[in-house]
Amino acid sequence: MAALVPSTFSGIADFMAIVVLLSEFAMLRAPLSRSQIKLYSFQSMVVTVLAIFIAADRHIDGLYAVAAISLILKVVVIPAIVLRLLRDAKVELVASNRIGVASMVLISILVSIFAMVVIDGLYVHSKSLPTAALGVAVAVVLVSFLLVIFRSDVVSQAVGFFSLENGVSVASLVVAAGLPLIVEVAFFFDLLVAVVVFGVLMRVHHGRTQSLSTDLLDQLKG
Amino acid sequence: MKVNDGAMTLALATIQALQILTIVIVSPFISGVTSHLEARIQGRRGPRILQPYYDIKKLFRKETLVPNDASWVFMAAPIVAFTCYLIVPMLIPVLTNYPLPLGYIGDILGGGFVLSLASFSLALAALETNSPFAQLGSSRAKTFGALIEPSILFVAFTVAVITTTDLPYFEAAAARSSISQIVRPAHVLAVIAFFLVVLNDTGRIPVETHSGTLEFGMIEEARSLEYSGPLFGLLKWGSAMKQLILYVLLVNVFTAPWGLAGTQKLSALLLAIVAFIAKALVVGLVFAMIDNSFSKLRLFKITEFMAATFLLAFLAVVALFLGGG
Repeated sequence: MAALVPSTFSGIADFMAIVVLLSEFAMLRAPLSRSQIKLYSFQSMVVTVLAIFIAADRHIDGLYAVAAISLILKVVVIPAIVLRLLRDAKVELVASNRIGVASMVLISILVSIFAMVVIDGLYVHSKSLPTAALGVAVAVVLVSFLLVIFRSDVVSQAVGFFSLENGVSVASLVVAAGLPLIVEVAFFFDLLVAVVVFGVLMRVHHGRTQSLSTDLLDQLKG
Repeated sequence: MKVNDGAMTLALATIQALQILTIVIVSPFISGVTSHLEARIQGRRGPRILQPYYDIKKLFRKETLVPNDASWVFMAAPIVAFTCYLIVPMLIPVLTNYPLPLGYIGDILGGGFVLSLASFSLALAALETNSPFAQLGSSRAKTFGALIEPSILFVAFTVAVITTTDLPYFEAAAARSSISQIVRPAHVLAVIAFFLVVLNDTGRIPVETHSGTLEFGMIEEARSLEYSGPLFGLLKWGSAMKQLILYVLLVNVFTAPWGLAGTQKLSALLLAIVAFIAKALVVGLVFAMIDNSFSKLRLFKITEFMAATFLLAFLAVVALFLGGG
């Protein structure tokens, strides 16, 4: 029996979610901190387009506002701030892979499959829900955890946390598109706090150790 | 040939022969246009569009030199490879959207096996020559061939799950049937993965420079270094045909299976030939642009390219099984 063909709407939404996941993979293996930030900006762009797409399909006007905020904050402002901090730090490349690229990608593939199997097992199905997208969104969250675990530099920690928020955004967009605007804005506020925290971390850490590697944080042990 | 309602209709066998002839005759033209476009993008004037035909003609008039250590395998390999490239166009939709009599004798994997046989015979012949560069090329071609194979398999699996067969005609029909089939993630991911496979198999830039003369970076190109005369001509022609065959799979099966002839009328078939050449030229242009916008990967980085290709193909299958994507 041929697999059921998803509707055009859920096909496109699923595909965008998968693009978000693929850019998460790209961040995992990107050697330059700068390219990680650019990938984060691209990923946020895809999330923004997804928000506009869902807003247009479901006629939810509040989502346009969310998309606008996300475009300004996540695509432009946050990457610009982090790039600025990076330029001040004058560090191009941080050797931060705890394990090899191939093993990192393989583990991430396994983790993504785990996420999709678990979500598939929950059987969250409805006519209007893009089925694969929810599993993919959870996979994005888990892979961004791996990014934080496997890469030991401050920029990866920051980008991992920010892209985790992108994964959560995708999940909330596909499951609860009509989520009240105020909740979405609260998400963004969380993100802004995180930017400030990570900005301070980058500044202070670099000021003390002249490096962005978090391996040296061990020395803070009392 | 018979006249029917004022329009000429061709027999199915004739159409089948026409498919093969199209590939044989058009392939050097596509290569010529692609390398011309590439040169124009770089600001050079570039070779004439018909240059590949002149090259082949010239080579067929030259004498054949054979390395001392080579045996009949060396002489037979280009002919075996060329024959393989003549067989594959029978299995794939070059001009028609309905299957021709021999269209069902092999599926995508079958076609892949025939192409692998061609590559295998060339690798054997390169080993025969006792020339270090040719042997290096043959060993590299086999190594990277083995690494790209999983991606090809997973693309074939995707097609198998979507259509319940592995026949290229059915995949094309599925893609034509509705827009939902085209935007579904499994299809899009498989198309991108297959595009990267084609980049690899035609010796394009992230993997190999196809027009370079530096032997150290060569993979598939190096295998033909010891050939001369008509055999070399066959090899060049064969590689142009292989490229066009892969373009057919890319456009007529995966990305744009429109503009194929639906009837046996001569006019429809001529239109299909024109549409096919136009589509192949668009692919050629895209490839020329990629050639000019990226640099060649270091040899040991090529595995990362293949890992990325595999990731895409693998996600396509995962999306199909978990979530019906």
